[in-house]
Amino acid sequence: MKRSTLTAIGIAAAASLALAGCGGDSPPAEPDEPDTTMEAPEPVTLTMSGWSLNVTPEFRALADGFHAENPDVTVEIVQYADGNDYDTQIIPDLAAGTAPDILVLKSLNKLWTFQSGGQLLDVSDVAAELSDDVSGVDRYEIDGVTWAIPYRQDSWVLYYNKDLFDAAGVDYPDGTWTWDEYAAAAEVLTAGVSAQGAKGTYQHSWQSIVQGPALAQTPGADLLSGDYGYLKPYYERALAMQNAGAQETYGTVTTSSLTYAAQFGTQKTAMLPMGSWYIATILQQQASGEADDFEWGIAPIPQFDDSTTGSDNVPVTWGDPTGAGINPAIDEAKLDAAKRFLAWLAGEGGATVLAGLGVTPALSNDVVTDTFFALAGLPTDELSKWAFTTHDTRPENPVSAETATVQGILNDAHSAIMSGSVAVDDAIAEAETRVASEAGIG
Amino acid sequence: MSIEVLLDRRQQAVRRRGRLRRHNALVGWSFILPNFVGFAILTLLPVLALFFLAFTGWNAFGNAPWVGSDNFTRMISDRLFHEALYNTVYYTAFHIPLTFAASLGLALLLNRKLRGVAFFRTAAFFPYITSIVAIAVVWNMLFSPEFGPINQFLQALGVSDPPGWTSSTDWSMPAVIIVATWREMGYYMLLFLAGLQTIPADLYEAARVDGAGAWQRFWNVTLPGLRPTTFFVTVMLMIGSFKIFDLILVMTNGGPGTSTVVLSQFIYRKAFVENQFGYASAASIVLFLICITVTVVQFLVNKRREA
Repeated sequence: MKRSTLTAIGIAAAASLALAGCGGDSPPAEPDEPDTTMEAPEPVTLTMSGWSLNVTPEFRALADGFHAENPDVTVEIVQYADGNDYDTQIIPDLAAGTAPDILVLKSLNKLWTFQSGGQLLDVSDVAAELSDDVSGVDRYEIDGVTWAIPYRQDSWVLYYNKDLFDAAGVDYPDGTWTWDEYAAAAEVLTAGVSAQGAKGTYQHSWQSIVQGPALAQTPGADLLSGDYGYLKPYYERALAMQNAGAQETYGTVTTSSLTYAAQFGTQKTAMLPMGSWYIATILQQQASGEADDFEWGIAPIPQFDDSTTGSDNVPVTWGDPTGAGINPAIDEAKLDAAKRFLAWLAGEGGATVLAGLGVTPALSNDVVTDTFFALAGLPTDELSKWAFTTHDTRPENPVSAETATVQGILNDAHSAIMSGSVAVDDAIAEAETRVASEAGIG
Repeated sequence: MSIEVLLDRRQQAVRRRGRLRRHNALVGWSFILPNFVGFAILTLLPVLALFFLAFTGWNAFGNAPWVGSDNFTRMISDRLFHEALYNTVYYTAFHIPLTFAASLGLALLLNRKLRGVAFFRTAAFFPYITSIVAIAVVWNMLFSPEFGPINQFLQALGVSDPPGWTSSTDWSMPAVIIVATWREMGYYMLLFLAGLQTIPADLYEAARVDGAGAWQRFWNVTLPGLRPTTFFVTVMLMIGSFKIFDLILVMTNGGPGTSTVVLSQFIYRKAFVENQFGYASAASIVLFLICITVTVVQFLVNKRREA
């Protein structure tokens, strides 16, 4: 009895170990191809990570666009989950050595994790060849080495519904707004459009909407300083607008699961501060009828003070680029093709494909802007074009080991303040204490 | 027949029985094997790895640098960990008695010969089989501070300042406890119902003959008769409460502030959001130790009561 118990456990353990071994570091099944890159190049197949391909057409479009110009290289997209699950899914693949050749860094937050974990290849040579018009390249530098190449650079702008502004008799934003003027306009608009069941503005429940501008625009603000007093005026303004009824309360947004696309798309709000990624969504939703048919425009995001408003100045906004890096596990023979692909992605080739889909490329020049504004359904006024092209985009997530922890703590402070449960000063003091204790800053 | 022959036969019989038993055991194990292999690979090995990882600074890539007991000393001064521990105990302290009372009450109600009793039993069990995401979304809407039916009802009753529920740091935990109790009482009701049916009817009859009232019958017949069920239910409730995760993740995601961050969510945040797998493993060990201590204590108490 006893011996057979042991035998059975032994067999089971051995079987499980053998099975566990199978999933481990098995070498790639592809045979080594002979090096014949001199003349007609061998066809190369690169794999690249992507997410939700049915609603994110850019990945296939980029793969096809590159293949059309480089027939010897085929890019295959490996699909991962959307949202935060993308990182959660790709990390085990990286750890197991089965991740794609080209890694898309969905959030800049993870650059430090991937780089410090040895999961990115040095692409400084690709970065050195890029045009100066590609923004955000320096954001991927750690210790003087570039680890990924940005191809997409979203930044926050102010969307507004021209029809609702007309109905309320309020002048359109003209690019001179500070946050105080924006808040005042939100209250006037609310009075003017409440008959239609709309409010002046809609600020989504994310921490970005309040903390993003506070960090980007306040002189001397630093996420990694452990001093978060710079958040105070931004929170007081947001709370005042919420209490005045000029925007939905945080409690309503979270408990009723409101979405910003539905709020703006079905004209429940006259204004919407949001990232430029929403342009592609609203174009598609207005075309499909999911969103109402109305005139809208883009204005620069409101500013900290007058020093950065108006057409003589460059408005300060915030946002993180999306970039692509190379998996160090890549086959040597494919490395050259992978680097060519990255250079194309960030250059005019990739940028025109992206602009044609309503996505904001990292490269900003006249060709890209013309392609972008040639899209049907985009506003054609001068301010929209100016707001799209002219801005100083500051980092939302500075690259460091502590960023994820600090942002998590500040997100707790955000929900505590916006739900009206904790006073602004108390919540900021609590965040500072926690950052000192949990991230060792300050 | 000589004694030797008889002895020999008996030995043979014993041996045969031994062989049969061994054979039966092997057949039995072969049936368990598929399940056990899955358990070993997906649960046992990771759990064993946990006890190693908790002493490292593993970040999902490469090798895991040994850091000794650093992770545990860090926990002692980690405010979020304290908050998570407090919230978990808060949740457990209210969720267990509430669910226990609600499910036992339901079981007693639905143990009678009642018209449509099958329907009501099904209705009480329904929340348990409903998708947790759907539950969270709908309850969140019910709890909406301004437009939610719950607060409108409270206002109609004359409550001038109804609670903010999931959008208030003071009321989010009570809101989660209410939903969790509502969701799980049907399941435990079923266990209690099964337990109630094992209590012989003559015991009640005898008690009645002796002049015991309803309360005395409940206290002296029903509760002692339910002891095995009660024990099982409290152990399951206790473990379930300490590892509460899914409902909170979809309903409040730990907020507002840190008012509903519980231990398993703390572990999830550290591991999958901040990539500190070593630290998260150490926190899991603490959760594991809490669960096993409480369960062992319950077993000991139960044993003493039975003796």
